[in-house]
Amino acid sequence: MDILNLLVAPEFFANGPVRTALVISAGAAIVSGVVGVFTVIRGQSFAGHALADVSSAGGSASFLLGINPLLGFLGIALLAAGVIELAGLRRVRERDLATGVVLGAGLGLTALFLYFDVTTRSTTGVAVSVMFGSMFAIPASLIPLSTGVGLGALLIVAAIYRPLLLTSFEPGLAKVRGVPVRAIGLAHLLLLSLAVTLSAMTIGAILSTALLIGPAATALRLARRPGWAIFLAALIGLGACWGGILLAYDSYGWTPGHSWPVSFFIVTLIFLAYLGASSTAKPALKRAG
Amino acid sequence: MALFWATAALAQPVASPRISALGVENEYANVIAQIGGQYVTVSAIETDPNTNPHDFEVSPRIASQIAGADLIVENGLGYDSWANRMIAAAPRASRQVIDVRRLLAVPRTTRNPHLWYSPATMQAVAQAVALALGRLAPAHAAYFYANAQKFDASLRPWLAAMAAFKAEFPNVPVAVTEPVGDDMLQAMGANILTPFGLQAAIMNGTDPSPQDVATQDTLFTGHKVKLFVYNQQVTDPLTQSFLALARQNAIPVVGVYETMPTGYDYQSWMQAEVAALRNAVSRNISTRTLGGSAP
Repeated sequence: MDILNLLVAPEFFANGPVRTALVISAGAAIVSGVVGVFTVIRGQSFAGHALADVSSAGGSASFLLGINPLLGFLGIALLAAGVIELAGLRRVRERDLATGVVLGAGLGLTALFLYFDVTTRSTTGVAVSVMFGSMFAIPASLIPLSTGVGLGALLIVAAIYRPLLLTSFEPGLAKVRGVPVRAIGLAHLLLLSLAVTLSAMTIGAILSTALLIGPAATALRLARRPGWAIFLAALIGLGACWGGILLAYDSYGWTPGHSWPVSFFIVTLIFLAYLGASSTAKPALKRAG
Repeated sequence: MALFWATAALAQPVASPRISALGVENEYANVIAQIGGQYVTVSAIETDPNTNPHDFEVSPRIASQIAGADLIVENGLGYDSWANRMIAAAPRASRQVIDVRRLLAVPRTTRNPHLWYSPATMQAVAQAVALALGRLAPAHAAYFYANAQKFDASLRPWLAAMAAFKAEFPNVPVAVTEPVGDDMLQAMGANILTPFGLQAAIMNGTDPSPQDVATQDTLFTGHKVKLFVYNQQVTDPLTQSFLALARQNAIPVVGVYETMPTGYDYQSWMQAEVAALRNAVSRNISTRTLGGSAP
């Protein structure tokens, strides 16, 4: 207990904003870790990044409309996923092109909404909080909705676990066996939207890819079975988020009166975990080509 | 002799067109208008009390406004640094520029840029404006100087109200969202308990530290403050959560502004703020907004 107190000040867990951040980031880390493994296996990291960036349009619009930012992020992410799916053709190259075009259009909308935010509303720091997150400013009242979104995503994964895994590893075989590949692909995009929405709330739209791809890529280097990889990815994401929150809290003493951005610590921890795993292990799981 | 004066008065509009002046913030524009009177046409750029001036976006219309101005008053301290660039981009030999930070000889490192809440600021601005206008229109220098004297006198009720508050309610503990009204609160002897790190984070839109947020929360839940000074122009979910806490704990709220609200001049605005602070401390009455100017 004494050692724990040295690392973690006793006030840490009594601090309201810290508690909210721990809960919200846990949901984001677990969902992103779980969904991220499928995303990496399917080779759709770019779509994940695009959805996250595009969701910033929803985040900035939510300030304009005065609605819950989570709903803003989610609405636009779902819309963009739909457009990618509609425009995205069978071949990977064309899918990436469609994704890139949607990404550009989405960020253009973000620029427009941010302009309206600062010229018509009394907002402060919208751009920073939408793009890079502002975890300690999240109101505790957001916990039920974000937990609900997270549980919903995990339930969907549980319900379609086997076909999702099969279409991710062996899309050809899945088709032969009569698995609805297209519907499962759509479900994966939906999951991706939910995951990036949760992480956009915590570490910002731009950085949420880090939480989606980083822990999953690290876990896939360490684990031999998909189930283990999913568990490990969620665990790495959780460790990075909670470690980042702790470091941001402690950084208050490094530069008196200021704490460093929590998002910086989280993505740095994710990066270090990936470096560590890359130097110690060979890729263990085969990916779809 | 009488004929001579009459001729001069008639000839005047043709001989000397009105001076075109610009206050980057509308509170400075208001002071220019009070000094310049009939000889000056004044416009302002920061005029909307419902937006955050720190996040201002420049448009081409503003560039031409700046290029055409004979006298410009800007705040300085990075609050309107875009104006400096536009002034430099449209040089004009006769143009008079008053940088309020430089005028007051406030150090560049000053963390709170909202200079117009400091009691001594507008007296100095009024003097400098009278001087600058006198240079642009020497024939009316005496008129501008007299107006500056009048302006000084009109500030006295505000200064007296602050002094009275300080004597009657010394060391009132207050919470704020950001430093906009800090200079005035300090002049009134108030004790600002909100950590400056949090005020700066809200003002600049950066990540607040959890320690500071928790400290601010306990100011409300522990009833450690007598009132909450809320900047109506710089708001986010965090400031709204403080507002909710203040309400739950029956702590009166006083709204302050960066930009002069409609329906006021500088003096009446400042007096209204002091009256609102007095109402909060003495009668526990909130004044969330001034007049019908904010939603």
